[in-house]
Amino acid sequence: MDSNPQNTVRRTFLKSALATAVVAALPSGSGRANTFSRDSLRVWSCGGLAEAFMPANDRYEQQHGIKISYTGAFAAALGKSLLGSATTEIFGGRVLDLAKKLKSSGKMLYYKPLCFTSYVMVTPLANPVGIEKITDLARPGVRVILAPEASPPGGQAVQVLLKKAGILDSATKNCVLSGSCVQRTMDDIISGRGDVSIVELRLTRMAAFAGKTTVIPIPEEFFPPPPLTFTIGVMKDAVDRALADHYLQYITSEEGQAFFAAAGFIPAISDKGRELVKKLGVKDV
Amino acid sequence: MSETQQCTLPMYDGAKLRTASIRLRIVRRFSQFIMLALLGQWWFYGIFRCPFLVPYVSCQNCPVITCHGRIVTMFWGFWLLLPVSALLFGRALCGWGCPGGLLNQMIGMMAPFKLRVRNTFTRLAPSGKYLGLAVALFCYYILAQPRVDVPIRIGEFFPSVLLTFEHANLEWLVRTFFVLAFLGLGLIAANAWCRFACPGGGLLELLRHLSLFRFYKTSKCNDCNQCLDICPMGTRPNEANCTSCGDCREVCPSDAIVFGRRK
Repeated sequence: MDSNPQNTVRRTFLKSALATAVVAALPSGSGRANTFSRDSLRVWSCGGLAEAFMPANDRYEQQHGIKISYTGAFAAALGKSLLGSATTEIFGGRVLDLAKKLKSSGKMLYYKPLCFTSYVMVTPLANPVGIEKITDLARPGVRVILAPEASPPGGQAVQVLLKKAGILDSATKNCVLSGSCVQRTMDDIISGRGDVSIVELRLTRMAAFAGKTTVIPIPEEFFPPPPLTFTIGVMKDAVDRALADHYLQYITSEEGQAFFAAAGFIPAISDKGRELVKKLGVKDV
Repeated sequence: MSETQQCTLPMYDGAKLRTASIRLRIVRRFSQFIMLALLGQWWFYGIFRCPFLVPYVSCQNCPVITCHGRIVTMFWGFWLLLPVSALLFGRALCGWGCPGGLLNQMIGMMAPFKLRVRNTFTRLAPSGKYLGLAVALFCYYILAQPRVDVPIRIGEFFPSVLLTFEHANLEWLVRTFFVLAFLGLGLIAANAWCRFACPGGGLLELLRHLSLFRFYKTSKCNDCNQCLDICPMGTRPNEANCTSCGDCREVCPSDAIVFGRRK
C-alpha cells in the first residue's frame, strides 16, 4: 500500500473527478428517471391549458426522461369522469370548486394554484369602429359577436361579464352573430364579420389567431370569478407519488409557469397571480 | 394447325388481360394503402373523435388539436382535391383512395351476401346515399353544424375515444352508431356503407356523370353480367355505384370493358 498522504489525496481527487465526469456525461433524463419507480405519468387538464401544457411537458420529458401521457379537454367533463370511475395521476382543472370537490371526495390528495385567465375585447386589426372600453359594445351600430352557447367559460362567463358592466341587454341587441364556439368567434372577428367580441386572452395567443386581432383589456372588476382560477393537484391514483409531486413542483416553478404566461395566462407565482390567489381564496385546506 | 391457332389466340389475349388486371389491382391496392397512410388518421378521428355533427368539414374550427385534419391542414387539400378527382375520374376516389372504402372492401370479402343481383332492392337501396347526403347538408346548413360532443383536444387515442363516447350528446351517439352499424352490416351485406349510405359517395355519384374518364361498356357488351358477378360494389361499369376500380376488366368474355373518355 502507498502510505504517502499526498498520493492518497491525489487518488481521491482523481476518483472524485472521474465519478463526477461519469455522472455529468449521463443524459440528465435517464439519470432522473432512475430516481422514480416509473417512467411515465398521466396528466389531465382543462383543454384551454393545452397550449401551455404541451411545451411544458415536452421540456419535462427532455429534462427528466419521463413520458407524460397528456389529455386536455373540457375540465367539467373530465372532472365528471374523475368523480366517476376514471383515473389520472395529475389533474389541472378550471374552477376552484371542482378541485375542492375532488379533494373532498378523496379523489385528489392536494392541489395548488396554477394560473388565472383574463378576458379581453378583440376587434379586427384596424379596430374599424374605434372600440376603447367595454361600454362601446352597447353603442348603436357596433356589430357584436358572442358565443353564448360555447362550452363554459366561453359562453355564460361573457354574459355575466356584460351584466356586471351593465350592458348585457344593449350588447345583446347589437349581436350580429351568436355562436357556439369561441374559436369561430375569433375567425369571425378576423374576417370582419363583426366589430368586437369578448374572449379569453389565451385565444389571442393561439398560433392560428396570434397577431390577427387588436386586443383591448377589460377592467378586472367585470370578470366573473369562478372561471378565472386554474389549480393543479396530485390524484390519489398517482402510482409514484414522488414523481407526481416532482412534476407538480416543476409546473408550478418559474420554469414551468413561463409556459403559462406565454400562452396568455397569469401565472400563480407572479405578483398579479399572488394577488388573485389571495383575492379568490385559492388555497388547499 | 388453324384450330390450334383459333384456340391459342383468345387464350393468349385472356392471359394478357388477366396480367394487366392483376397489375391494375396491385396498383389500386398500393394507392389505397398510400391514401390510408395519408388520410387514415383523419378518417378515424372523423368517426370517433370529431365533436361536430358532420365530420371532416369544420376542421378549421375544431379544438381537437391532434387530428391530422387540423395539424397538417389536410382539410383544405382534401376538399380542393375532391371536385378535381370527381370531374376527372368520377367515383374513383371511393375505389382507389378512401380509407373507409378500403376497410369496407376488406370487411366485404367476408360478407356472405355480396348482393350482386339486379332486383328492386339493389336498384333502390343505393339512393340511401342521397338521403345520407341530404341529412349531412341539413345538419350543416340548417342546424348550423352544431358541436355535439366535448372535444378531447389532446390525449392518447383510445382513452380519448372512450372519453368522447362518455361525454357525447345524443345526436353524436346516433350519428356514430349509424356509421358503425353500417360498417357492421358490411360483414353481412358487402360494402353496405359505401353502396347504400355514404354521403360523400352520394356527392361523388352525382358528379360521376360529368367525369371525363371512366370505365365503361362498349357496344360489344352482351349483358352476360359476369362483371356484376365480380364487382365488390355489386354493379356494372359506368352504372350507379361504379367506382372505376377496374376489377371487372379481366372477366369480360367480350373484352367490352374499357377505360377512357366516353364519347
